[in-house]
Amino acid sequence: MFHRVLIANRGEIAARVLRACRDLDLETVAVHSEIDANAPWLAGATRTVCLGPAAAARSYLNADAILQAAEQTEAGAIHPGYGFLSESAVFAARCAQHGITFIGPSPSAIGRMGDKIAAKRTMAEAGVPVIPGSLEPVASVAAATGLASAVGYPVLLKARAGGGGKGMRRCDDATALARGYAEASLEADKAFGNAELYLEKYLDGGRHIEFQILADAYGNVIHLGERECSIQRSHQKLVEESPSPALDPKERAELGARAARAAASFGYVNAGTLEFLRAADGGMYFMEMNTRLQVEHPVTEMVTGIDLVRSQLAIAARAPLAVRQDDVAFSGHAIEFRINAEDPDRNFRPDPGLVTDVTAPSVTRRGATVRWDAGVAAGWRVPSHYDSLIGKVIVHAPTRAEAIAASREALRSLRIVGIATTIPLHLRLLDDEAFVRGDYDVQHLARRGLVVPAAAGA
Amino acid sequence: MAKVLLEPIGSPRERALDAASFASQRAHVGALNAALQHKRDEVRAGWGPEYEARVRKKGKLPTWDRIDRLKDAGSQVLPVGTLVNYGRTFGEDRKTSPGAGVVTAFLRVEGRWVVVIANDNTVASGSWWPQTPEKIQRAQEIALRLRLPVVYLVDCSGLFLPEQAHTFPGRTGAGAIFKMNALLSAQGVPQIAGVHGDCIAGGGYMPIISDVVYMTEQAYMVVAGAALVKGGKSQHITSLSIGGPDVHVHLSRCADHRVPDDDTLIRCVRREVAKLPTPACDYYRYGADAGDPSFAPEELDGLFPADHRQSYDTREVLARLTDYSLFGEFLPDVGREMICGVARVDGLYAGFVANNLALTEHPTQRDHKRPGGILYREGIAKIAQFSRCCNDDGIPIVWLQDISGFDIGPEAERQGLLGYGSSLIYTNATNTVPMFTVLLRKASGAGYYAMEGLPYGPVLQLATPLARLAVMEGRTLAIGAYNTKLDDAFRIVAATAEEAEEIRRGMQAVEDRIARDMDPVLAASQRDVDEIVHPSELRRWIASLVAMSYQATGYRRIKNPRIWSLHDLNVIGG
Repeated sequence: MFHRVLIANRGEIAARVLRACRDLDLETVAVHSEIDANAPWLAGATRTVCLGPAAAARSYLNADAILQAAEQTEAGAIHPGYGFLSESAVFAARCAQHGITFIGPSPSAIGRMGDKIAAKRTMAEAGVPVIPGSLEPVASVAAATGLASAVGYPVLLKARAGGGGKGMRRCDDATALARGYAEASLEADKAFGNAELYLEKYLDGGRHIEFQILADAYGNVIHLGERECSIQRSHQKLVEESPSPALDPKERAELGARAARAAASFGYVNAGTLEFLRAADGGMYFMEMNTRLQVEHPVTEMVTGIDLVRSQLAIAARAPLAVRQDDVAFSGHAIEFRINAEDPDRNFRPDPGLVTDVTAPSVTRRGATVRWDAGVAAGWRVPSHYDSLIGKVIVHAPTRAEAIAASREALRSLRIVGIATTIPLHLRLLDDEAFVRGDYDVQHLARRGLVVPAAAGA
Repeated sequence: MAKVLLEPIGSPRERALDAASFASQRAHVGALNAALQHKRDEVRAGWGPEYEARVRKKGKLPTWDRIDRLKDAGSQVLPVGTLVNYGRTFGEDRKTSPGAGVVTAFLRVEGRWVVVIANDNTVASGSWWPQTPEKIQRAQEIALRLRLPVVYLVDCSGLFLPEQAHTFPGRTGAGAIFKMNALLSAQGVPQIAGVHGDCIAGGGYMPIISDVVYMTEQAYMVVAGAALVKGGKSQHITSLSIGGPDVHVHLSRCADHRVPDDDTLIRCVRREVAKLPTPACDYYRYGADAGDPSFAPEELDGLFPADHRQSYDTREVLARLTDYSLFGEFLPDVGREMICGVARVDGLYAGFVANNLALTEHPTQRDHKRPGGILYREGIAKIAQFSRCCNDDGIPIVWLQDISGFDIGPEAERQGLLGYGSSLIYTNATNTVPMFTVLLRKASGAGYYAMEGLPYGPVLQLATPLARLAVMEGRTLAIGAYNTKLDDAFRIVAATAEEAEEIRRGMQAVEDRIARDMDPVLAASQRDVDEIVHPSELRRWIASLVAMSYQATGYRRIKNPRIWSLHDLNVIGG
């Protein structure tokens, strides 16, 4: 195992990784920006190093500064958390150049899953269902039209080099497709210097269900079941649970095994998540693979009893997986609520500022437990420079109904004074009948009037 | 412990260059690429569908079909010498010889890089034209240098006799091919031959030295064909009856195996290649992970200004060639007109030497800046030492040329640039590590030599369609030729307007002639560059060449990076 681990992140996830390192008796180096100099999570580190000014580009995204900090403190490994540099193949490759272990998959695995077409092709070849469409750029309007009539309209054209919606077109018929193809390839060529487009069936709504996998350096891969993350606002997840109300054990075992095989097919190592869209027709389609720890990983930990961060550290230290698939047992139900410094009644306007008091959540219900993963404490001024997530409430109980009841209790007991948070939204959601029944999809919050739809807001 | 620290280099396209310049430059290079692609297609078509049909009618496959079946599915062919003889005609009826009637290429077969040498049976039944022997020998030489297995697909009716005076007797005449067969064999380079059809005289000698020889039922090998055998007609002697598989597989044992047809033969050759050692490339990655550049290599097509006098940022070029766009620059503060350093390409270490075209500070005169793309003393010393280190450490070197030449003038002579340049030339001439040269744009004067131009023996020399290969630019030569008619600032000095006009026209004529000479297609036609490639194809080429350099073990020095002499120099240089 490593002697000393550097955590290249902030907030609740930095606190989470620091805790795992402490559990394993590892020394830790917490890096931080100037504005995070007195952050509550830093107390949990053996030593701290300031990276630079508040702006993420000059601190948590500054690979030079982070590598220098690792060299100076002789850290043997870097845990990237999520966001920031966690999915940068270049950063992972640079860590290797410095002889520092990047706690995550190989640079090529990150790169492969970062390339949308390569990811989709890899999964299709491994037998994972993907959204019907092309696995290669479509060379002409004729090719696009042929493919579109095979998969059925509406279809979505996407730029190969894409991002930010540029070079993307929804086309409802052949005429729209011919026009859309010309426009999108021109737009893509202009924006990315690459006119290549690919095409897939346009799927509306559906549920967001993802599978957690763990893979060691020796080709052993297991899955830890799924998480349902359909409670979203503008593609931002707010509530996640495991298991999903939409899957039965047979489907779970089957899809999970496929996900694990797919990860093994290209030599994936460490923790990863395959995201699927469960369409209205019940079909499951691969969307993308996240090559890092997820924000919502605790719900998986609560139902499996497996510590994902400790597993990540062990795998990076080249230990074989301690559990086999048959040893993985799912017990009870867990729900996670993201506590963001945002005001749900004011269109989720970020509300950073001084927190004057914090009371951690608690539950008294028999059989229920609550976990509070926090990056906030009384006296801490939440900065405006970063993501607004300040903590996560994770509730576990024997059944979903009990977990929902315990969640009400936990969220009512949690007090964060001084700033607005998403707690009121969560309490409203827990009173929503359809949610309580488990009957919801990614448009649920907007459809039920729990949030203002993104387009109508602003 | 010595560490190799590779740092990020380059920037996203939108920061490296404004969109309008990128678009117009890419349009310029795009047109050149399209013209080049047209020529490639022309060569690949051989003498056209009529001849292809004739080949098929005999129950044989056209050569390119054989090659496509030989290579691994989905892999790319890297042809060498595509444009040899391009634009030339032979004989009274002005026959063309696309690709000099032979395909030589790097192929992936069973995961291994091999060199394939295949007579183009759609061009005069695969006969040998002027420069065909030299093209074949070049491919053999490359295979020998990198210890790559050679596959011969023989289908050759012998020398194109009207031109025999140019292909028979000289130092590189046809017979030199068989000498190369022997040298390859003597160095332990595997050679596998497939005989697909005619194999007369020289064609007959070529496969015999190969380790394994396959023959199809349509194939024969003879010292001389039936036409030359006295009494042949009355005895019903055919070439097949005296040199077919019945004779050579069973009686003479000049061939090993007979197979029914081309397709079977190709499958058998693949099986032979599969028996050879696995490439050592992954071993020499030392556990590192290969990866694409962070910035798309396709963008290289838009990085070069249309006007050759305008500069560009060489680091942006390097950033689109190296894995993850990481580069470990060697002595970056000395001789800044040159950029050299190591990077990984396809996970394997390679050295790069390139010209920096930007203005750089004069090392001693403050406030004085010097133009780039020129060899000055410090830069020469730096790259000479870098070249020696790479040779010592076994790191293959890629030379990226955009060089106007050595510095000239009183300072250059006083400093003894002739001496520093010679030191560099000595180093490159005696290096044994694989070196590859790419003419990005200018390749002028002794700079072309000093930076491992073709006369210094790179394993391969590539050029982009932008390449300008000449002793000097036309303008410079015109100034030299009309020196007595010009003043200090190279303005025309003439008594009358007519005389001035005459001088101007004369200078223009010189410039135009040099511009024609500098066309890379002409250079490729006469084998002064091995292949012209689109800038956007460079990453794939370089990655492949570097992988070939690490494929075979045991014939050259490859040091692990802990013990590189490069580290010593970094320490001494501070």
